[in-house]
Amino acid sequence: MAEELKVIVFTLANEEYGIEVDKVKTIERMAPITRVPKTPPFVKGVMNLRGVVVPVIDLRGRFGLPETEPTENSRIIIVSANDLEVGFIVDSANDVLDVMSDTIENPPEVVGGIKAKYLSGVAKVGEDRLLILLHLAEVLNRSEIIQLERFGSES
Amino acid sequence: MEMNQYMSIFIDEANDHLQSLNENMLRLEQQPEDIGIVQVIFRSAHTLKGMSATMGFEDLASLTHEMENVLDLVRNGKLAMNGTIFDTLFKGLDALEGMVQDVVAGGTGKRDVADLVARLKAIVKGDVESQGSGAKAAAQETPASLTLDQFQQSVLIQSLESGHQAYFIEVTVREDCLLKAARAYMVFDVLEKHGEVVKSHPSVQDIEQEKFERSFTVYYITKTDEQTLADQVSRVSEIESVRMKAVDKSSLQEMNRAPEAPSSPAAATVRETAAAAAPAASAPPAPQQPEGSSPRSAPATGGGAVPRTIRVDIERLDSLMNLFSELLIDRVRLEQLASEVRRADLTETVEHMARVSSDLQNIVLKLRMVPVDSVFNRFPRMVRDLAKSLDKKVDLVITGAETELDRTVIDEIGDPLVHLIRNSVDHGVEPIADRTQAGKPETGTIHLRAYHSGNHVFIEIEDDGRGINRPKVLETAIKRGVLTAEAAKSLSDDEVNMLLFAAGFSTADKVSDISGRGVGLDVVKSKIESLGGHVSVTSTFGKGTKFSIQLPLTLSIISAMLIKLGPEKYAFPLSSIVETASVKREDIRTLHGTRIVEYRNTIVPVVSLAELVESPHYRDDGETETEMLVVRKGDKLAAVLVDEFIGQSEIVLKTLGKYLTNLDLVSGATILGDGQVALIVDPNALIK
Repeated sequence: MAEELKVIVFTLANEEYGIEVDKVKTIERMAPITRVPKTPPFVKGVMNLRGVVVPVIDLRGRFGLPETEPTENSRIIIVSANDLEVGFIVDSANDVLDVMSDTIENPPEVVGGIKAKYLSGVAKVGEDRLLILLHLAEVLNRSEIIQLERFGSES
Repeated sequence: MEMNQYMSIFIDEANDHLQSLNENMLRLEQQPEDIGIVQVIFRSAHTLKGMSATMGFEDLASLTHEMENVLDLVRNGKLAMNGTIFDTLFKGLDALEGMVQDVVAGGTGKRDVADLVARLKAIVKGDVESQGSGAKAAAQETPASLTLDQFQQSVLIQSLESGHQAYFIEVTVREDCLLKAARAYMVFDVLEKHGEVVKSHPSVQDIEQEKFERSFTVYYITKTDEQTLADQVSRVSEIESVRMKAVDKSSLQEMNRAPEAPSSPAAATVRETAAAAAPAASAPPAPQQPEGSSPRSAPATGGGAVPRTIRVDIERLDSLMNLFSELLIDRVRLEQLASEVRRADLTETVEHMARVSSDLQNIVLKLRMVPVDSVFNRFPRMVRDLAKSLDKKVDLVITGAETELDRTVIDEIGDPLVHLIRNSVDHGVEPIADRTQAGKPETGTIHLRAYHSGNHVFIEIEDDGRGINRPKVLETAIKRGVLTAEAAKSLSDDEVNMLLFAAGFSTADKVSDISGRGVGLDVVKSKIESLGGHVSVTSTFGKGTKFSIQLPLTLSIISAMLIKLGPEKYAFPLSSIVETASVKREDIRTLHGTRIVEYRNTIVPVVSLAELVESPHYRDDGETETEMLVVRKGDKLAAVLVDEFIGQSEIVLKTLGKYLTNLDLVSGATILGDGQVALIVDPNALIK
């Protein structure tokens, strides 16, 4: 029996991605972000989310895609997983979709320039729409940041 | 029945009852004759038993049951408390605590209590063979005596005169009845349809809270005849028996005189009911019951007036605080708008809102304050056990337990205090022989004090023990390599005392089970400092030692200096700022590659904040005159160059979340009046 999965759809460099809806706390318009020194470049800083200070990362930068200036459509998706609460800057976020679990396939090695370990699968929606599902735990994996920090301090 | 939703209530209440059991057992140990305390203990144990059985924790219930049996004998004067009984009961309490902790941790609360149960049973049997159960059975059969105050009597007399019938009714519910309170309520419902209940025993509130055994009694006025009434009442399910007795004028008048004789059971119950009604102190000694009066029907005052409180999840308080700080930001915006619009009525409203919100702020902050008692209350028991195991006599005197501290501080302060108190009992107070030799009373005294002073709370632990032995401390310090023999000579007494807090230092000759397990006072010191506090020690050799801990009232609000670097804003904790000044560029000199500046006749290293935070918008090299902050860490100073001072402000501390850690430069963040986040600079990171 195929289960139904509700996902929030957002775009990043013309690809469509999905995050399970229960991992998403809110979606915010771009807001002032305070830079935090000595963090990896994709960490844009921290923002005030109704009285709570939340770190914000640029998902493009996180995946090694070229970063762009925020536009009218840019959104910050606040996700919470593994006790972490983090905001993702994405190009746009505008849809909630139901995905049947039997339409999800394992991701190929690289999709849209993103390594497979950050992805939990690729779902086919309708006829020709592909939705790349994020593996949140891996995206938020801090050990990689620590490595990056080390790398940054050595260079 | 879905039990999970009751689990947290069970855990909270079980902990409360265990705490009260512990406290009262200690009191009882001091005053073993006070049956009032036994009553309180008995009630707590009884409630705990009931709760545990309902939740299905059989071991918990059965152990409590046995303890209750022992207590029952004690309160009926059939058993005198002695050291063995106390120890067994305390062991029982420990086991109960262990089980409750297991439940908290998600376990089943199971534990092998057979040994303890057997010992408790032995106590019951040993002294009073078979009387244990006999006494209980007898007690249950004794009808609850019930007396009336004058007003109620006159009501009854008047009703009788006006042709009503008055009855004394005793209702007994079945032993296996699950919802006693509900059944009782149904009985009351029936009764109230046909007449009026003048008086009930236990009180209606107690009955509603199931604070009665199997039976309750009422005085009742009605026009319905006895038979119909008895029928109706016994129709309520799970009712075992209904006994009704008509009351006439003469018996009422008889009772009127009864209270004059203080030794009669009637008088005792009058006093009893008075105690139940009066909002007494948290643990009122229940009035002493004359032997033979109905002990089982003692009113379950449940520890008297329970403070009217509710339990709130700390996360909810945090989110209340967050939302409130959002409100403050909106207030600032409104104030700005109002000053632009310049309309008198708008300004007035905004000003009023400002006043209300600052009151609200005080309340919100106070909500997070908890009396230190919640930490202190476990110490008497701890000191008792420690003293016993060390064969010492120690009194713990607690003062200022009502002093309030921020919840976050309270949560963290427990372990350091345990450590310091253990330390005082173990190393401070001498063995009895040494004390008598030194001409001191056998019993050592440890004072645990808490009090407010300014924006700080002080906690002191003072013992009248042997004090700090300077030569021995120095000897150990040198042996452990904490300092050199040379340096030791020039130390002041205070500096020697502070050596106790040095890492890897322990003066105990033997490593005992209680303290001196390698983790020393250095852990205490670093813990307290991480809370923004300060610990010091003073001592007179031979007279005693005093540890003094200074803690900030709250961790969530600090005074800070806000500064600007171009458009970016940063906050510096005011506590670490010595002075603000401006410095001419040419006064900054370079010495061995380090930039320095002369400040009040000392040479201070210069740190550029813009460089440290890699500010993209501002460089200080271009300026001819720069603002500087002189900050302090211990006795070291540093001058921090900044762009511009904004001013001093009270800021609410926030964490940056778990995603961003290992930020050595930034200790946290705060939300400014304009809704933006400003980072708080950790001055300790600026001084190497």
